[in-house]
Amino acid sequence: MAQIAIGIDLGTSNSCVAVSRHARVDVLPNAFGESTTASVVNIAADGSITVGNAAKANIIHDPKHTISSAKRLIGRYFFSEEVKKARAICSYDIVEGDNHSVRIKVREEVFSLPEISAMVLREMKSIAEARLGQPVSKAVVTVPAFFNDNQRQATKDAARIAGLEVLRILNEPTAAALAYGFGRGLNQRVAVYDLGGGTFDISILEIGDDVFEVLATSGDTFLGGDDFDDRVIDLLADHFLSKHKINLRQDRFALEKLKVAAEEAKKALSLEPSAEIRIPDVATTPSGETLSIEYTLTEREFNALVADLMQRTFKVCDEALQQAGMVARDLDGVILVGGPTRLGIVRTGVREYFQMEPRTDVDPDEVVAMGAAIHAASLLDQGGEAFLLDVTPLSLQIGVAGGLTEPVIERNTPVPIEQTRTFTTFNDYQESVSIRVYQGESRESSENEMLGHFEFGGFRKGRRGEVEIDVTFEINTDGIVNVTARDRATGEAASTRITLSSGLSESEISSIMDRGVADRVATAKVPDPGESQDELIPVPQPTTTQRPAPAREKPQTRPAAPTSQAQAPRPAPAPPARPAPAPQPARAAKPVPEPLAEDNVEIITAVELGDAGIASPGEGKELTDELDLDDIEGLERDGQSEPLFDEPGTDLADDEVS
Amino acid sequence: MAEPLAPTEIRALARLLGEMNYYELLHLRRDAGSADVKRAYHATTRVFHPDANRALEPELQEAVRRIAMRVSEAYSVLRDPRRRRAYDLRLSEEGRIRMQLAEASNEAGRRDASERGGRTREGQRFYKMALADLKRHDYPAAARNLQTALTFEPDNAVFREQLASARSKGV
Repeated sequence: MAQIAIGIDLGTSNSCVAVSRHARVDVLPNAFGESTTASVVNIAADGSITVGNAAKANIIHDPKHTISSAKRLIGRYFFSEEVKKARAICSYDIVEGDNHSVRIKVREEVFSLPEISAMVLREMKSIAEARLGQPVSKAVVTVPAFFNDNQRQATKDAARIAGLEVLRILNEPTAAALAYGFGRGLNQRVAVYDLGGGTFDISILEIGDDVFEVLATSGDTFLGGDDFDDRVIDLLADHFLSKHKINLRQDRFALEKLKVAAEEAKKALSLEPSAEIRIPDVATTPSGETLSIEYTLTEREFNALVADLMQRTFKVCDEALQQAGMVARDLDGVILVGGPTRLGIVRTGVREYFQMEPRTDVDPDEVVAMGAAIHAASLLDQGGEAFLLDVTPLSLQIGVAGGLTEPVIERNTPVPIEQTRTFTTFNDYQESVSIRVYQGESRESSENEMLGHFEFGGFRKGRRGEVEIDVTFEINTDGIVNVTARDRATGEAASTRITLSSGLSESEISSIMDRGVADRVATAKVPDPGESQDELIPVPQPTTTQRPAPAREKPQTRPAAPTSQAQAPRPAPAPPARPAPAPQPARAAKPVPEPLAEDNVEIITAVELGDAGIASPGEGKELTDELDLDDIEGLERDGQSEPLFDEPGTDLADDEVS
Repeated sequence: MAEPLAPTEIRALARLLGEMNYYELLHLRRDAGSADVKRAYHATTRVFHPDANRALEPELQEAVRRIAMRVSEAYSVLRDPRRRRAYDLRLSEEGRIRMQLAEASNEAGRRDASERGGRTREGQRFYKMALADLKRHDYPAAARNLQTALTFEPDNAVFREQLASARSKGV
């Protein structure tokens, strides 16, 4: 049987899996014939795990054991704003694990976020295997372009736990652009406006035949369709409070019902000018009278509720265009991605902002998985069909004295890339050098995301300034950061210890895999058992797009009418009868404050010397002038008084991980 | 699709990385324009993109990866006029073939700051006069003063841009 690789769009609310074979791309529907599957996990009393809409149906009556929107928590620290908000709102238990990580407690079991996402990925893998009638072990998994290293690494771990070899972690907008432009011989500049359930991304790409070059990307991982629902929930709850003097927000069951109703109303408004909201028996008065909600939400009222959210997306678009050195009229097309882009206000807003009709010939719910599938097939064939030149969405920075950071690799730099800095010891016979690595755009370290605290040891010991350590920061094509160090004089690799990281260690991953968590996912059988397993089981509602032939006629640069360009006619996006929506944590508007003190590990202060590989030590010394050495010593002392770690890393050799 | 590279070629290029400047790496002339830079990046990428070389043995994949990373670096410097100016200066004055991106940006920033008001006393003097002329919308006078300022600082990009703008407005 031929090897096969699938593309998976692992979404906040819904996930989608597709395959590209024999020059065509198929979205693989689940057993219920749905092209997308809810990213919701339910863990039953007997330990069995259900994923998808069946799990989502449990949100109202079994909220404590039903986990949704895990993507919002993946790769985050427990102390982050996002996690705090989620703890206040989510019906399941969010607890703290080792190293400030986030864990989900269900009954007596504690799961890491990669495990929860692994359950969803396992479901998608099983759907693909059932449809294709053969085992699948390789995949391209997509993430929001604006995901940081922690989030990407955690997603990759999730795929491994699910039993998938990750061929690539691919950015969602890039995948969408690939699905749009693959094999069409285009020469266009396009924007991908990707408003998902929980995140917003904008990417500006230049497509030149087989090269897809991302010029700039920007985003907001705290902004998505869920926030639109929240606005409707607030409206209903406020309305109810003023009318009946009962606060529905304090009642978990009522709140879940509001969430369901809000999501359905939002979907209805994608098709109709108004939505009827009816929630019977939502509350009971002290006198025992049951109360219901009946509300007619007009599109106009909804649009007013979410207008500021739309403006936030356009501010992000401004930034991306500016970074690409372009204005909206330089673009040849705008591609919409994500369910919420079906909303009238989004379409109108995008049309006005970009001054062109957005393209609607790609299905916003499926295009990302399709792009991932195309790339997966191409990687399996050793590549060479399309070249994706992506960028790093966030600047990589290192911590310097005074709580500040200094950029090493600026955002929108093409990947893969490596940069090297030289550090030297600050004290005589110093045993290790420590570097804090951040992602973000702020000069203040506390306003950036901490990727890790790296400690390098095992190099020669000498007088202060004698030993020079070249530290190499690498960002690979998955957007994942790798930091290594070597002794400059001997070329010998230094040992690396990461003392702070939100991710799972290699041993944790293997122990999770040994426990077989993903194997507990019970996937609904694709109906039609009579079919031979060797053939592709007929897809109930084909959602197939023929890969366009290369050298196809160049499409209009400004499509006049959306339908006239339709490539693969699809049924109207009727809102499927979804049992229940996901509960969603509210977004934090502010960057995450970093409650980390300078650590108290031995002597670890590093003084940066300059650029390795090219800078002579003499040049480097000039650069040290920019750092306030007194400050560094001061920080060391401060560090002593604010221990952060339970066990100071005094014995490096025991803790080395590589 | 470009021809796959022979292992000997990959090894040779990986060894030479330490000696090639960005122009040599991308097969560009020193006076190449921005469109040429982009074209060269795409062409080089077709050959060295890690995706296109997945069939290679691990040692060669590693070599290709190192080349690909250097190609990204070269492109990041050469596509940005400010970084490129800083790089060109270091390359011609000190023969440095590599420049860390942050360093290139910083240097460009410093140069800009010094160029904004002029580096030489005479340059500063005439530039100030030109700015006063511009304020009064006396574009021909501004152009004359800028021209004079440029005789003291012929490579000052800020002066040159202002001169071009004064001339276009003066017409």
